[in-house]
Amino acid sequence: MTGVPLLEVNGVSKRFGGLSALDGVNLSLETGKLHAIIGPNGAGKTTFFNVITGTLSVSGGRIKFLGDDITDKAVHQISHHGLARTLQIKSVFGSMTVRENLWIAAQSREGVFSVFKNWKKCTRAAEKADAICDQLGLTSLANQTAANLSYGDVALLEIGLALATDPKLLLLDEPICGMGPAETEQTVAKIQEISKHTDIIIIEHDIEVVFKIADQITVMANGSVLAQGKPEEIAENAEVRTAYLGDEDDD
Amino acid sequence: MTTTTIHRVGTLLLILFTLSAPWVLPIFVDSFWVDIYSEILIWSLLAASVNLLFGYVGLLSFGQALFFGLGMYGVAVGIAKFDLSFWPAFMFGVALATGMAVIAGALAVRLTWHYFAIITVVFSLIFYFTALSWKQITGGDDGLPFSVPPIVSIGDFELVITNPFTQYFFIVLMVGACYALMSRVINSPLGRAFVTVRENDTRAALIGLNVYLIRLSAFVLAGFIAGVAGALFAFFGRYASASYMFYHVSGEAVVWAIIGGVGTLFGPILGTGLLIVLREELSSVWDHYLLLVGVAVIVTVIFAPRGVGGVFVALVQKYAKPSSSDKEGSQ
Repeated sequence: MTGVPLLEVNGVSKRFGGLSALDGVNLSLETGKLHAIIGPNGAGKTTFFNVITGTLSVSGGRIKFLGDDITDKAVHQISHHGLARTLQIKSVFGSMTVRENLWIAAQSREGVFSVFKNWKKCTRAAEKADAICDQLGLTSLANQTAANLSYGDVALLEIGLALATDPKLLLLDEPICGMGPAETEQTVAKIQEISKHTDIIIIEHDIEVVFKIADQITVMANGSVLAQGKPEEIAENAEVRTAYLGDEDDD
Repeated sequence: MTTTTIHRVGTLLLILFTLSAPWVLPIFVDSFWVDIYSEILIWSLLAASVNLLFGYVGLLSFGQALFFGLGMYGVAVGIAKFDLSFWPAFMFGVALATGMAVIAGALAVRLTWHYFAIITVVFSLIFYFTALSWKQITGGDDGLPFSVPPIVSIGDFELVITNPFTQYFFIVLMVGACYALMSRVINSPLGRAFVTVRENDTRAALIGLNVYLIRLSAFVLAGFIAGVAGALFAFFGRYASASYMFYHVSGEAVVWAIIGGVGTLFGPILGTGLLIVLREELSSVWDHYLLLVGVAVIVTVIFAPRGVGGVFVALVQKYAKPSSSDKEGSQ
């Protein structure tokens, strides 16, 4: 895992008409770490995730993922490169059960353009789905319809959907936003566990959590990278303090 | 009884009724109801093609009559103008419809919701007016009659569609094959991908599904099914007419699908059956019977959004024991 950076972002910008949501972002992230991106509201964090995953096209710049240029590729192609993400507004397949949700995500690696097989006989994806239920503690809910899950369980299922695609990098967009203290603690533990074998970039507003779990923090402000470093370095960075940590209670 | 058993029994009853209809129906009602039942089976395929798009992949098409019309014209033109025999004409019609579905679909499935609905209407209108004005090929307003060649002819043995039994069982066989194909697709990984796209296309793309190609596959399959329906209807009526390509016909198929239950395999047969029987019984008594149909649609959409088929599935799930490998409500 040495040499090739996990993610290399060169001068990426994204404009919406006159508004510059991303203004020449340069970033290089190493593999084997739990990265966090923080920054005040409107800093461009989610837009940044959107351009990496192909949800939005870039206005300029290049993005390389593990050495492959993924700029301008379609969302599903980028997923097949090994990039998976969760959304800020949680989204799963509501009418399907938890197990079916995870099954289709796993089956996406085996191919879905087959009509010669009954889907229930695609056991490899089914085993994967069960394994993920187990890993995330969703086994007791496996036969529940996703639309009936509690908010925290939907968030977990969403992480599960991402994991079922065997990602090399997992992008989590505010995974614990809106959770109570108990759920937060549980989810953070899960994220730390996942980070042992999968690289993670997390966007999170809960600074306490970020400083507790992140190996490296990137601070964004006004559409570009303000600072990057270990949590201790970020905590002491004067610029960051003014831009972000200075008004902590703004959240 | 478990839900699976009930669904199996239901399917079996439907099959038994269909196979025995030419003998059983005349005992109770006039024998022309056998013909009406064949017509219901054919039209149910058009409703099924709407259902495949709307109920499974979440695209509401008001243009399925285009593919129905092409299937119908393929057969009629093939026989009347190119002297094709039975099966080549059949295949020609279905191939025309499917080919058009590939072309129209490649453009249409880039859009969703009302944009998609509008483009499907536009497509079918273009070809409706083409068929109306291209008189020397299509017969325009008057339609294109033809005499049907034998289905098979080996030596002295001949199967002709003018024999009511042959016609009935030919239709049953073809319609049955289409439902078998749809059932197979719906229960395949691709079928699950359809539902996934219907539920949440953003998330579907994020887990690596090619949403465009999945929608296109559904669109082409729906075009194929509608094409088979049109080809069968051409054999059934021994003629083709542009009026069957009008978007009115597409709209009717949407109504049948909604009343029958979108997202259930046999819902379209129920919906088509109910409304065609209603039409046969009421249209002679009361000119404005369509008012009733309108009310029925509104009531269905408000109180039973998954139609009669959906109510049935819900009842079964409520009162039957869940089976160990429970089906999602797709049967």
